[in-house]
Amino acid sequence: MALRRASPLERHPLARLVLGRLVVGIGTLLVVSILIFYATEVLPGNAAYAILGHNASAQEVHVLEVELHLNRSTIAQYGSWLGNMLRGNPGMSLAASLPVWTVVKARLINSAVLALVSGLIGTLIAVGLGVVAAARKDGKLDNTLSATALAVTALPEFVVAIALVMLFATIVFRILPGISVLPPGTYAWQRPTLLVLPVASLAIIIVPYIFRMTRAAMIEALESDWVEMARLKGVPPLRVLARHALPNALAPIIQVVALTFLYLAGGIVIVENTFAYPGIGQGLVNAVTTRDIPVIQFIVLALAAFYIVVNILADVAVLLVTPRRRFPR
Amino acid sequence: MGTDARTGSRERGDSPPADGSREGTTRRDMLRTAAALAGAGGLGMLGGSGIASAAARASIAAAPKRGGTLRAGVTSGSSADTLDPHTWLTNADGTRVYQLFDSLLAFDKNAQPQLSLAQEVTPNKNATAWTIRLRKGITFHNGKPVTADDVIYTFQRVLNPKKPLLGAANMAPLNIAAAKKLDALTVRIPCHTPFAAFAELQACYQYFIVPVGFNPKKPIGTGPFKAQSFTPGQQSTFVRNPNYWQRGLPYVDTLVISDYADETSQINGLISGQLDVIDSLSADSIAAVTNGGGKIVVSEGGSYTPFTMRLDQSPFNDIRVRQALRLVVDRKQMIKLVFGNYGQIGNDLFGLYDSAYDHALPQRTQDIEQAKSLLKKAGHEKLNLTLVTADIAAGSIKAAEVFAQQASAAGVTVTLQQVPVSTIYGPNYLKWTFAQDTWTYYPYLPNAQEALIPGGVFNECHVNDPAYNKLFKQLAATTDPKARTELTHECQTREYNGNASGYIVPYFQPEIDATSSHVHGLTPSKTSNPFGGFDLASIWLS
Repeated sequence: MALRRASPLERHPLARLVLGRLVVGIGTLLVVSILIFYATEVLPGNAAYAILGHNASAQEVHVLEVELHLNRSTIAQYGSWLGNMLRGNPGMSLAASLPVWTVVKARLINSAVLALVSGLIGTLIAVGLGVVAAARKDGKLDNTLSATALAVTALPEFVVAIALVMLFATIVFRILPGISVLPPGTYAWQRPTLLVLPVASLAIIIVPYIFRMTRAAMIEALESDWVEMARLKGVPPLRVLARHALPNALAPIIQVVALTFLYLAGGIVIVENTFAYPGIGQGLVNAVTTRDIPVIQFIVLALAAFYIVVNILADVAVLLVTPRRRFPR
Repeated sequence: MGTDARTGSRERGDSPPADGSREGTTRRDMLRTAAALAGAGGLGMLGGSGIASAAARASIAAAPKRGGTLRAGVTSGSSADTLDPHTWLTNADGTRVYQLFDSLLAFDKNAQPQLSLAQEVTPNKNATAWTIRLRKGITFHNGKPVTADDVIYTFQRVLNPKKPLLGAANMAPLNIAAAKKLDALTVRIPCHTPFAAFAELQACYQYFIVPVGFNPKKPIGTGPFKAQSFTPGQQSTFVRNPNYWQRGLPYVDTLVISDYADETSQINGLISGQLDVIDSLSADSIAAVTNGGGKIVVSEGGSYTPFTMRLDQSPFNDIRVRQALRLVVDRKQMIKLVFGNYGQIGNDLFGLYDSAYDHALPQRTQDIEQAKSLLKKAGHEKLNLTLVTADIAAGSIKAAEVFAQQASAAGVTVTLQQVPVSTIYGPNYLKWTFAQDTWTYYPYLPNAQEALIPGGVFNECHVNDPAYNKLFKQLAATTDPKARTELTHECQTREYNGNASGYIVPYFQPEIDATSSHVHGLTPSKTSNPFGGFDLASIWLS
């Protein structure tokens, strides 16, 4: 009898992790979708009231309720929504009477661009500064950077955004657009100047967190025995920093970067609002005002899916940079 | 209404804004203007012809330029934005709809209904039938001439029994099924009941003439601009209608209207040069605009935000309580605190710019002693009230706070229950015992029909005063202007005395718009609709 061969999943802890997380993730999405449905149910009024406004008579509201199938029970509404969703059809927007995808597509892409660009720029700056600060621990530069970072963490998003607008768009200089309204049908990258201030605001907000974590992790790595050893061997300082210390500090940095991206998914809402940037933040506010359940569902599920994916990616990345955790003990 | 009142004040372009400007300085402004005119006349005399030189000066001061793109930023939009002229709701919608469509009558800058697409709108003797004759030679955006069929179709669409649109309730007396086309431009519509308000209602925001078979997805109207693109909740682009029937209008070639979430981003857009005109600012924002080089245009109009007391519920079923609460309000202090230097005080009446409005009723002022004695007589020396408030209009919540403060002087404890707008206008709307509502400007009769008559669509105070109902029935059937004025005064007296009204109307709120310095031709409107009564056609850029 041949030896039982380990199943592929057992041999690949990485694949097992991803698969497990995906299953849990899909379950989470399902729960989230039920919660959203009931949450919108708790709000007074419905899409018909919201669309027709207070000028509508009871008869007009009733006609629209029938048109939008709002007269059915919540469970029936949820059932047909879920059925359509499983067939890949997120349904129609109640307010705009257009397919949800048509309403949301450009907004999702615009928000993704904003979050990614600011996340990447912020991460690069923060990690760079963190490494430098750790290398010059307790020096003048380190002290200045640390104090500034601490101060900036105390600032809410809209304060940073409005300060930048006042500085570069309205009161001091008028060199950059103060609002980032994109004509419908165009994407953010077609008007890069409109991205400058929103990206700068978000980058300024996220840099301190990543910076502080990078600095701490690097200091810990730099004080370790193996770095001591490398120094004693006469490895040049830059090489010590890049090859010996940084790789060992990566795990916590990856965690905080992932957290930052998760924060960005929610945090861009406020910055988008300040700049009137046509992203999902504005879309979600719009949808809630009009009780547009299919659009709310789609946007919130997209955000939830983003959370799940970023978490999985972060775990995978951490596994990849810490080899000892890749194998079952 | 029988005469050809000319095409509204629009053609005059940059007319002096004295008409709609704020109450507080009107008298002084008028004196100053009079002095200036006298001076100009005197100089003109010396030069030979006073009139000619004044006219020449005016044309130099206001020589509108053609062309360019006007970028308007509006709040109040959402993904429920629509271009359907018979279901529009918000100021964002109105700003768009008014560029694409015209109605039979329209409000001029003084909130007076003037003939627009119609050349004649005449009732028979007891207002049981109306004859409408259209202006000759007007075409829709697609080149089709406007005819009597389109008028009939418009009212059929609004009154569709299967799907009545927003304006249906006010047009209920119209017997549209019996409408008769007299010739290509003339139609006669009989009414189920006497309907004297028909003509002035045509200016009331919901009765835009659309072509037979109208499709809101391809919004074709007669307005100064044609629709080019539209994304609800974001932006629309309109282009100049070269065949517009009001000669010379509009001035700009392209009009871009964008939705904004709040006034901070509106103002940032204006100051950083990405927007030319913005609407509906709060008084607190004026300094930010002027410091940034923008211009402010304030419309002192007839919109009001009343406190609404239900006449059929305790304690407001006692007229003494209602009158006492009207007496606790220090109206001057209230507008000072809520709107700074703007706003006009109210006298618990509406229809401010209706020519029949009763200005002879004494202005009600704060009288705590009398309020206290009325409450005592009513057995409510210590009165506890809950006032439902929401951000329904500029300054509404602030006004509620001021009211609570002022009422405490008379021993009335007002607890504010602040709710979201969607809640105050949710399923409980028109059922609150004590709340706020906001009304755009209407002439007296249509406003009363909605607010004070049993069965009125917005009779939120549940008013049912037999004497008033009788007067109102008479008024609705009266076409003679003098008789109408007298009846209106009688009606308003019953409101003022508290018999037929549950409203406290402490003020009429200002509409504050702003433009950048190169924008001209935006003049205030007493309708208090944004952009001088949605009048973007008169705006030009230098």
